[in-house]
Amino acid sequence: MDVISQNIVYFIIAIAILVILFAWAYATGRMQKDFSTMTWVLIPVAIAINGVIGYIVGQLKLPVFLDSIGTVLVGALCGPWAGALTGALSNFVIGMLTNPTDWWPWIPVAFFIGLVAGLCANAGFFKSWWKVVVTGFLIALTAATVSTPIAVYFFGGITSSGSSFITAYLLQTGQGILQAVFSTNFLVEPVDKISTAMLAFAIVQGLSRRFVARFPRPENVETEGGASQTQLFVAIGVVVLLILFAIFILSRITGG
Amino acid sequence: MHDRLSFYYYRDSILHQLNPLTKLVLVFGLMLISFIFPFFWTPHILILVAIIPLIFVGKVKREYLNATIRIILPATMFLFVMQALFQPLGDRELFRIWFLHPTLESTLFAFRNAARVFAIASSFTIFLLTTHPRELMSDLTRRGLPPQIAYVIISTLQILPQMQAKAQTIIAAQRSRGLDTQSSFLKRVGSLVPLVGPLVFGSLVEVEERAIAIEARGFTSTRVKTSLHEIPDTNLDKALRWILIGLVVITIALRIWLS
Amino acid sequence: MAIVNLQNVTYKYPLTDSPALQNINLQVNEGEFVAIIGPNGAGKSTLCYTLAGFVPHFFKGELTGTVEVAGGESHNSSLSEWVLNVGLAFQNPFNQISGAKYTVFEELAFGLENIGIPRQEMKARVEEAMKLTGISDLADRSPYSLSGGQQQRVALTSILVMQPKVLVLDEPTSQMDPIGTREVFGVIRKMAQRGMTVILAEHKVEWIAQFADRVIALKDGQILLDDIPSEVLTSPILPANGFGISRYTSIARKAQEMGLWNKDRLPITLDQAVEGFFNEGRK
Repeated sequence: MDVISQNIVYFIIAIAILVILFAWAYATGRMQKDFSTMTWVLIPVAIAINGVIGYIVGQLKLPVFLDSIGTVLVGALCGPWAGALTGALSNFVIGMLTNPTDWWPWIPVAFFIGLVAGLCANAGFFKSWWKVVVTGFLIALTAATVSTPIAVYFFGGITSSGSSFITAYLLQTGQGILQAVFSTNFLVEPVDKISTAMLAFAIVQGLSRRFVARFPRPENVETEGGASQTQLFVAIGVVVLLILFAIFILSRITGG
Repeated sequence: MHDRLSFYYYRDSILHQLNPLTKLVLVFGLMLISFIFPFFWTPHILILVAIIPLIFVGKVKREYLNATIRIILPATMFLFVMQALFQPLGDRELFRIWFLHPTLESTLFAFRNAARVFAIASSFTIFLLTTHPRELMSDLTRRGLPPQIAYVIISTLQILPQMQAKAQTIIAAQRSRGLDTQSSFLKRVGSLVPLVGPLVFGSLVEVEERAIAIEARGFTSTRVKTSLHEIPDTNLDKALRWILIGLVVITIALRIWLS
Repeated sequence: MAIVNLQNVTYKYPLTDSPALQNINLQVNEGEFVAIIGPNGAGKSTLCYTLAGFVPHFFKGELTGTVEVAGGESHNSSLSEWVLNVGLAFQNPFNQISGAKYTVFEELAFGLENIGIPRQEMKARVEEAMKLTGISDLADRSPYSLSGGQQQRVALTSILVMQPKVLVLDEPTSQMDPIGTREVFGVIRKMAQRGMTVILAEHKVEWIAQFADRVIALKDGQILLDDIPSEVLTSPILPANGFGISRYTSIARKAQEMGLWNKDRLPITLDQAVEGFFNEGRK
């Protein structure tokens, strides 16, 4: 499709960055640190958590997915590459078992969710409520960015989810296909991914320090100054700020 | 997790006896060909010429039909309808209701996409029905897949049903209290926490002891691993794989030549 | 010939202030059956993990002193080498299921696959071990479909199949019902009779009294007593420090206080109690 070939340059740059990051992490031993025996045993449990919470949420008709909580958990406790692997395998296994029509294109999205969660955690952004909100927002941004070209290429922009109605509407207003799909994704993702990050953080808070110390990166989740009431308010404040920011970005994309 | 697909069923068929890698190559080959071959009706032809015969060769008619009717067909039809209605292609409108105005072009586009998705989903289903995960993982490990990944996949396949069974209990409990769709959003979420919490934490604390257990069985040993089961790889397997790779190469060549 | 040699071993888990083991000195000869008793928090599990190499390699923390087991020295070995010589089974049978295999036979072979044992030998070892522990009839079952006692026997067998030189067991019957307990103890006793060096942490003193060669009483990370069962299990130090003791011993002790027990030695088994109470009376 023409749209894709126009943007192929961005695609190649993105892949190149990823490959360099991968090589650097491997060569410096950072990647290997993610993967201890505890990691290998945690990943299946995390995938099961993804599946179970995603299922329960779906059955109860809540307006979110919440199917990446395990992925973010692994990203935070073990590291970005372990998180990325968890995401990819999670989509692969759960998708194959429950919806063979729709799993394979979204594997890169899940990969990046885990990767970004781990990178944010490494950078210290999984240590208090408001920081976790920021992490969730960044994950949402990444998820929207990665899923847009996939949706456009494989499905012409219209996927089998209800959000496609929004995309259709935006297309009506004369949007380019990429902008329309991105705007749609960007509306849906933040709520889901910020909640996901916060729930993953809540789970880590509930685990004993002794237990968390067994994982490769316990330092990522050492809470600063306790997860107190004021912190929660700060977090809510950050959410509001981010929503305003998101609206601003969206208006620029759709208006331009 | 909606309804589950059926898993491996043991049958006495050629497909069951084929090496897992061969079947994997078959699936990916079909996938690539249906996407790349520069002919509109490719996926439809593949369904008739490849998928349907395979169902019979693999003797998995009933299970395949079950999966198709419950999952694949509805999902594919939904995709078809969505794309036909909303894909902004062409001008020859078929009809116009409210803000819906599907065009001939978009309908054809949707038809092709839906056929593609159907073909891919079907071939994966047939693959799953005729290949036991232990064989697949054992074979892939022999060919170079890190054994830890094989461990993770099989462990996930065993843990998922256990967790799902517990989740079903939770859903049933919620339903009986009218908390699935009737009450407010907050109430639904709030009542879930004391049920989902133990499920999540319970499964997490097991991780430490299980890690110790598999360490005690040499999980981190650096020796070359051996395998209990031998998975045969016959000449037929090798021939089939080469033929499929050849077909894919031809497809790619055709695509490049014609564009 | 000492197959276990711990000298001045002190260990602190990460993020803790007080040591879990303090100045442990312990030698065990090949073929001995040593039991470790102690109240909760005494350090029984930590001692088991130390013997099995998980302290310090899995748990990190600070370990000082010498830990030599079956020819390996703790600071010079890796965990993957250590587990070839020392087998470990613990309380929860469900958590010892690897999750990687679909049948009991495959589950037993899992360890052997990991350490690269050739296929023929693998099958031979598994079949022999199953006969030894009496689980041959479970070979084709899924490990998840078994009872607790069956799962624990499978866990034990999957360690035995690796042919360790020392077997370390951390309260393997704590979560069993009486039948399961009997099944598991049966296997342990059989291994001990065949000459395996067994180190068993347990609460069920009455069973230990009958079959162990030595008993070690552990409290707050320190060894209080280390002697033959009849010495340790009758010692007044035990009840004074919160140890569980055998019913026979406590009844006889009460009887002794009332002047009704005339032997020098308190009983630790049913037979000794019967002998002490009834044969004396018949004199």
